[in-house]
Amino acid sequence: MMNHIIEAHGLTKVFPGGIVAVNDVSFSVEEGEIFGFLGPNGAGKSTTIAMLTTLIRPTKGHATVAGIDILKQPYQARLAIGYVSQDLAVEDALTGYENLRLQAGFYHIVKIEALKRIDEVLEMVDLKDRAKDKVETYSGGMRKRLDIACGLIHRPRVLFLDEPTLGLDIQTRREIWKYVNHLRKEIRMTIFVTTHYMDEADSLCDRIAIIDKGIINILDTPAALKTSLGNEIVDFTFSKGTLEEQEETLQKITSLDFIRNIKFAQEKGYIASVTNGESSVPAIFEAIRDFPAKIGSISFKQPSLDDVFLHYTGHEMREEKVDKETGFRTRMIMRRTRR
Amino acid sequence: MSWTVIFNDIYWVFWREIKKFTQQRARILMLVVQPLVWLVLMGNSMAGLTRNPIAAKMLGTGNYLTFMTPGIMIMTALFGGVFGGTSILWDRRLGFLNKMLSAPIHRAAIPLGKLMSIGLQTMMQALIIAIISLFLGVHVVTGIPGIIFLVFIAGMFGIIMASISLALAANLKSIESLMAISNFLTMPLMLTSNAMFPISAMPAWLSVIARLNPLSYAVSAMRTIATQGWLFHAIWMPVLLLIIIALITVSISIMMFYRSVS
Repeated sequence: MMNHIIEAHGLTKVFPGGIVAVNDVSFSVEEGEIFGFLGPNGAGKSTTIAMLTTLIRPTKGHATVAGIDILKQPYQARLAIGYVSQDLAVEDALTGYENLRLQAGFYHIVKIEALKRIDEVLEMVDLKDRAKDKVETYSGGMRKRLDIACGLIHRPRVLFLDEPTLGLDIQTRREIWKYVNHLRKEIRMTIFVTTHYMDEADSLCDRIAIIDKGIINILDTPAALKTSLGNEIVDFTFSKGTLEEQEETLQKITSLDFIRNIKFAQEKGYIASVTNGESSVPAIFEAIRDFPAKIGSISFKQPSLDDVFLHYTGHEMREEKVDKETGFRTRMIMRRTRR
Repeated sequence: MSWTVIFNDIYWVFWREIKKFTQQRARILMLVVQPLVWLVLMGNSMAGLTRNPIAAKMLGTGNYLTFMTPGIMIMTALFGGVFGGTSILWDRRLGFLNKMLSAPIHRAAIPLGKLMSIGLQTMMQALIIAIISLFLGVHVVTGIPGIIFLVFIAGMFGIIMASISLALAANLKSIESLMAISNFLTMPLMLTSNAMFPISAMPAWLSVIARLNPLSYAVSAMRTIATQGWLFHAIWMPVLLLIIIALITVSISIMMFYRSVS
């Protein structure tokens, strides 16, 4: 029981107006792993984090974090978790040190201990030499590191990172990943990450849950997810032939022994998982030579998490509609990270 | 949860607000400049009024500035407090509210810490106004204890307005609509009170409204202390009413805040 540091059972959140943000989500996270929630904006990632960090009450279901029931003992749960939101919630007018002092105050850490811990977390995120400067002089990456440091001041058992690299450039994102990986290695912290970046989930997470429209579609290691699609992927579209003719041709392709399965995705055409590598492309052409429908485009590639996402959700990752205030906040984050 | 923990939480919310405030030089400068402009402009343009003996009698003092100083204090408290709710909406927008809520902070500490910082800011402003007005020749008959009383009442009024603003903010969720409502509230509250104009000189219908306006309680108590002395029989009622209003509005703002975050 205790080696599952997070356990969620049937978490459901229905917002006023009947919008189901999270629908019967269950999963467990092992101590010391980096666990990722991958999905587009509006998929229910942040809502799940908000429930686990006691910010909102689940409509149904229950969960424990570090063995503490988040519904029955929210106060104790807050002490056990660190939460770093996507908002970059550091105080620009204050110095890095003051931000951390404030955070230590929120966690009732007495002064002498607080000074020690501020030193410790500043060391962890390499901000010691900038601690006395105002945050408004920091770069986007430095702000994020400071925000992460704020989440570590009370030495939580679990750290929740909501979209940790939203709005950052690729170099800074890699740098943030380095720090997150470091946390896991050095202090064996359990880290729960949400992201809509495939590369982030791929390079950071030990296990990934793909979440879409409030439902977990699949949960596994990135490697296992990719191999579950077969070894390689062939995308193709038809250029000629009526629907019936295409259907007939498709059936022929499906029956080939190196084809594991074929899925139809609106904008991409057909996606086939294949087991015989690059030779599958000429083999497909050979097999359908006498069929009326002709292939218009075809491509061969190693599966990526993008394909995994497409395979399990049936659509590509794209932004869902967001309300005005959420949109405003997102633009705000973008603006604050780019300076 | 023990009381010391709640005080700790209020202290840190308060600390943050004050720290942020002291970083904004323009705001601190305006703290001094704004009342100065009001006192000098209004004071000079209206000074002729007191040369008319009937007007002087209505104002209760031979110096219009003395009449107006409590009014300016309350007006500054009104403006300072009425936009107090925007800070919580900014916190929500910038994500700092969630940062506080995910920490083991007592929920009530968030509005209380903010209210205290607004109370302190309005008191500082009232003190600055008092000092400026002394230089401009205003005579407070009760001296320094009287000024402390004026500053205290202004602070309490600032907290009342800020509580109303916070309660609205908890329900509104958008900074723009809160600004619109706050702007809409200030002018009528101001103009239907005795802050700038004596009630005895108002038309009957307006004087009824002015007597009910909580702003008038604050101003009349302050004005009595500033111009007449410690007339407890005249001030206990308005002061008591203000305290009751403050308790009610602060409680409502805490309740509304609780509701909006749970």
